[in-house]
Amino acid sequence: MTNKISRRNFLKGSAYGLGALTLGAPAIHVRAQEPVIRCGVVTSLSGENRFGGNLTRRGYDLWAEEINKLGGVEINGDRYRVEMFYGDAQSRPASGADAAERLIIRDEVSILFGPYTSGVTLAVQPICAKYGVPMISGSAESPNVWLEKPRFNFGMIPAVDHTAGSSIGVIAEATGAASVGVVGVDEPFSKETAEGFRNGVNDTGLELTRFELFPANADLTPVVSNLKADNPDLVAVGGHEEVLINFINTAKSLDFRPKAILMHYGVTAAAFADQLGADANGVLGISVWTPNLPYRDDLFGTASDYDELSLARWGSHPDYTEAACSASGLVLQDAARRLGKPPVWDRQARLELVEALEETDIETFYGPVAFEREGNHYHNNIQPVPVVIQITEGRVVPVAPSDAAQTELVYPLPAFS
Amino acid sequence: MDVLLQALLNGILIGGILICLTVGFQLTFGVLHVIDFAVGGWVMLGGYAAYWASRLLGVDPFISVFFVFVLFAGVGCALGPLIYHVRTSRYARPDLMALAFTFGIFIMMRGGALWLWSFDSRSVDSVLSGASLSIGPVTVPLLRLSAFGMALLLGLGLFVLLYRTRFGMAVRAVAQNRDHAGLMGVDVKRVSAYVYGIYTGITASAGVLLATIYSVNPEVGVRYTLFAFFVAVLAGLGSVGGVLVAGLVLGLVESLVGTYVGTRYSLLVVFATLYLVLLISPKGILQRGI
Repeated sequence: MTNKISRRNFLKGSAYGLGALTLGAPAIHVRAQEPVIRCGVVTSLSGENRFGGNLTRRGYDLWAEEINKLGGVEINGDRYRVEMFYGDAQSRPASGADAAERLIIRDEVSILFGPYTSGVTLAVQPICAKYGVPMISGSAESPNVWLEKPRFNFGMIPAVDHTAGSSIGVIAEATGAASVGVVGVDEPFSKETAEGFRNGVNDTGLELTRFELFPANADLTPVVSNLKADNPDLVAVGGHEEVLINFINTAKSLDFRPKAILMHYGVTAAAFADQLGADANGVLGISVWTPNLPYRDDLFGTASDYDELSLARWGSHPDYTEAACSASGLVLQDAARRLGKPPVWDRQARLELVEALEETDIETFYGPVAFEREGNHYHNNIQPVPVVIQITEGRVVPVAPSDAAQTELVYPLPAFS
Repeated sequence: MDVLLQALLNGILIGGILICLTVGFQLTFGVLHVIDFAVGGWVMLGGYAAYWASRLLGVDPFISVFFVFVLFAGVGCALGPLIYHVRTSRYARPDLMALAFTFGIFIMMRGGALWLWSFDSRSVDSVLSGASLSIGPVTVPLLRLSAFGMALLLGLGLFVLLYRTRFGMAVRAVAQNRDHAGLMGVDVKRVSAYVYGIYTGITASAGVLLATIYSVNPEVGVRYTLFAFFVAVLAGLGSVGGVLVAGLVLGLVESLVGTYVGTRYSLLVVFATLYLVLLISPKGILQRGI
């Protein structure tokens, strides 16, 4: 036996050494960096709600990219870069809760940006409370999220009970529609949307010809056939983009075209008009943000500037969910500035951050942001005013109320092309 | 009366869609004894193939359906020997291993679709999109009618293939007893591969029509897998003839309940029907299943 190192052992040792260096280098690099603001994003990147989930990610990412271009979030005159970590909720509440816990424990995030669906948001809220991590939800619209009075969660978009009902009255006033058929998918957000529509019908004294909920997997021919037999002036549908596309396809195949069709949510997303083409024209929707609104802020500029930036970055016009998610970052920026403590934030600092978030009162390109401090919309930003939009030549155009309208509402709708 | 007629027609046409989905699945179960979890994946990929053909090449789905059949039949023939290998392996529980194997294929399909076509739902236009025929008070959507026509053609075609050709005789022999069929000179492995190819071709072709009727996205596969499984169980696992009856029964149940009781309860009644049939006739609605 000799003490010489054989060629094989030398090569083996070199390979191990190189491997260790390669794996270890990022850690060395991270440690050498300035403190950063570690933000977690829990959203549905796969599963049934992957469409909206990815829209939320786009919104959050765009803010992170833009603020990092300036060097990061300014706190006490210093700038701290933002680092984003992602957790896929897989469109399931339980997976969302797991992902949030992973982000908090493993990735040590100081703040979460909230999920796309209200169901996942409801599951993530207790995790935020357990670890004392604030969350800004750029998407959740179910009123049930805020009924629980979540201490750590803040919602950017007004709850659907605030928007859906009032839109029925606005449309009835603009069109003279007298009867309404309301249908919706039997899942939390869509059901509450349909119920909001129904309440709006009752409040405005219109005739409700039908209120029906259906499973997300159902074939829509029975639903559309029933609506066709009732023949209401306005059909209001609560659902997400896939159901809305299927609804239009089924209505067209059964030769059913009511005088007006109102949908929420998904109709304002560019993919809706892209996929349906001319058949999307005339469909009404509700939006709390459009690019022509007169709001602005220092990071994104005007609503129109944001629209152009998002189009250039992602290749499609943003809808209000993307806008609200980007504005979530502006809310964090503002709260962090007022907190005045550099990252990393411990539990006590995070509790102070929650208090700072509660005192938010800013204007952004998305509109005014201030969270309710009491009542059924606790921590929900109900400042934005909903407008009724109509798909016109593939574009989302505000049509009501009259002070926000850019063009006249098309009523009754012409037959399908 | 008008509503009843429309509901009956809707039910029959929904049945046609369910038959298209399931008929190949049944055939492959009968021959390979594999519960193919990837059935919804093949439907989804067929839909995306039609989407690409339509968007990139301007080919109508009613033309691309033939190319899709050939393409996916080829893929199925290539994959068939692998499935056969897993199903006939000497390791413990090859039936479960095959189920897990097809589940893995399905997961890869779903992930691949998400990567290739992103998260958007894609709508596929055809010359028959939105076209309908009015017969008195009843509106007949032509796309759905074509799916029903395809279901009838598939049923007839499979009947001719299985009962009027030598290949069909070999398929039936393998379905009855793989070992004995092998001893009689049937190349079991090759027949199984061909059957898997026929199944993937049929199912992907059904996907073309389904994408045209509804829309396609990376998640639709799960739904179609479930529906195919329900129809197959109601028909009796492995019974191709039973699929025709089971598909129509489920379609009619879904439509009539949706129209007269409420769509909210349609799936509940569909499951209750399935439960009752399993209780009373575990071999399926025609008592011909395994």
